[in-house]
Amino acid sequence: MDFFKNIGILLTNSKYMGMLLEGLGKTLLISVFAALLGLLLGTLVAIVAIAKDSKAMKLPKWICKIYVTIIRGTPMALQLFIMAYAIFAIRGFPQEITAIIAFGINSGAYVSESIRAGILSVDIGQTEAGRALGLTNKTTMMKIVIPQAIKNVIPAIGNELIALIKETSIVSMIGMYDLTQAAKVIGAGNNMASYIVPMSVAACFYLAIVYLLTFGIKKLEARLRAGDKR
Amino acid sequence: MISVKNITKKFGDLTVLRGVDCEIASGEKVAIIGPSGSGKSTLLRCMNLLETPTSGEVWLDDKLISDVDPYLHEEIVAVSATCARSVQAGVASEQAVDEIRKKRSLGKWEGSAYKNAIKEYAAEHGQNINLARRKMGMVFQHFNLFNNKTVIENLTLAPIDLKLKTKEEAEARAMELLNRIGLADKRDEYPSKLSGGQKQRVAIIRALAMDPDVLLFDEPTSALDPEMVGEVLDLMKELANEGMTMVIVTHEMGFAREVADRVLFMDEGHIKEEGSPEELFKNPKDERLKEFLSKVL
Ligand SMILES: Nc1ncnc2c1ncn2[C@@H]1O[C@H](COP(=O)(O)OP(=O)(O)OP(=O)(O)O)[C@@H](O)[C@H]1O
Ligand SMILES: [Mg+2]
Repeated sequence: MDFFKNIGILLTNSKYMGMLLEGLGKTLLISVFAALLGLLLGTLVAIVAIAKDSKAMKLPKWICKIYVTIIRGTPMALQLFIMAYAIFAIRGFPQEITAIIAFGINSGAYVSESIRAGILSVDIGQTEAGRALGLTNKTTMMKIVIPQAIKNVIPAIGNELIALIKETSIVSMIGMYDLTQAAKVIGAGNNMASYIVPMSVAACFYLAIVYLLTFGIKKLEARLRAGDKR
Repeated sequence: MISVKNITKKFGDLTVLRGVDCEIASGEKVAIIGPSGSGKSTLLRCMNLLETPTSGEVWLDDKLISDVDPYLHEEIVAVSATCARSVQAGVASEQAVDEIRKKRSLGKWEGSAYKNAIKEYAAEHGQNINLARRKMGMVFQHFNLFNNKTVIENLTLAPIDLKLKTKEEAEARAMELLNRIGLADKRDEYPSKLSGGQKQRVAIIRALAMDPDVLLFDEPTSALDPEMVGEVLDLMKELANEGMTMVIVTHEMGFAREVADRVLFMDEGHIKEEGSPEELFKNPKDERLKEFLSKVL
């Protein structure tokens, strides 16, 4: 069959493989840093969102609410365009950074909702018991509530990470050379002149990453739950 | 030991406590009884400020642990802007103060003298609530053991974190307490592995591990299977006999009768009647108390 023969040709062609791996590298680079930024932002926003209502918290709470509403209410591609063509429309500004910021900000909005739900899912009695012993709010949060919340939140955060990795494929729309774009270039007429082969290989790369990630998260979850089966 | 002064508590539009005064003396065992929704838990939780009273004050020993309630202090009301206006309009100062306290007519803005008076009072008499809570143990209906910590960690977390004891001291004390309740072999189990009665007994010794002056119990046996109620009540009786100060919200009338020095009957956010168990159970005066006792006894 031609298809498998062509796959063989691609996998042994160092030029094509170089292009694919370069694309893969960029996809991973954007994903990893956007995920870190998203986790950081998401945790911050979640902590603000669950803080007690008070005068000092009014503005931060309002900002967080607007942030989550706008990000979750508009398309990712549009957010990426706004970053690339409006906010960071500076000649020579590294596209990777534009993409990391755009995806990080996007992911933060979703992650914050998961983390907020995770913290709220911890029985209020846990907090009350900590406070009744004279522990500060911060200690109670750090030692009692957040460790329990993390367990509840890992599956949701994992799904968010997986969605993020796949979503980064739209960076080709601002002319970036990620895994998807690499496959497209390899498939073009001046190269292999067949899209199905490089696209299939790229698909396998994505699948492998997602599979590894899913596996890792399952392991982590099992380890965290090992102590206290409820 | 604990003084609750004219506290009210509102949850939104719902008024749960309508001006409650009570004193708990050192060594005293006080049972709080009353129908569901009468405000028993809320009163107990106001004592260690797990609920913030809407008005009124809570004192532990000689320290104010809640916010200052200006209406309880003539000298603070006297320096308010509202009072100054009345005086300017020709009202005698004392009369103006009385009127403001009766009508509770202080506004949001009462001037800097008033603000300072409150600040000074708090600085002189107030105590940080986290410090006060170390001296007041609380036992919950649903135990609330830390799910992510083993039994021994549950017992030592607060004493170590608050630097009241070294790790070795805290663990030695925890083991002593665990031995006392016969659960030393559970030291490294997570709470999920314990029965309800075991959980509650561990929760009680978690409070004891802080060496508190007073223990607050909120229906400690209500969530237990009937066969486990006894073991928890027995431990509480032991503590009572050792002289621990205890405030116990309970539906166990037999226990209240046997252990309490004084029983408070709460209804509709008031303490409707209080007295020794004999008086209260044998000779109830309040109609609602009679009705309540006829249902539960
Ligand atoms: N956090 C809260 N928010 C709103 N309402 C509350 C809150 N806590 C208690 N309430 C309400 O306050 C009233 C008194 O509650 P409380 O728990 O003090 O009653 P209780 O006497 O302890 O009753 P029970 O015997 O059922 O425990 C109830 O109507 C309850 O629904
Ligand atoms: Mg109650």
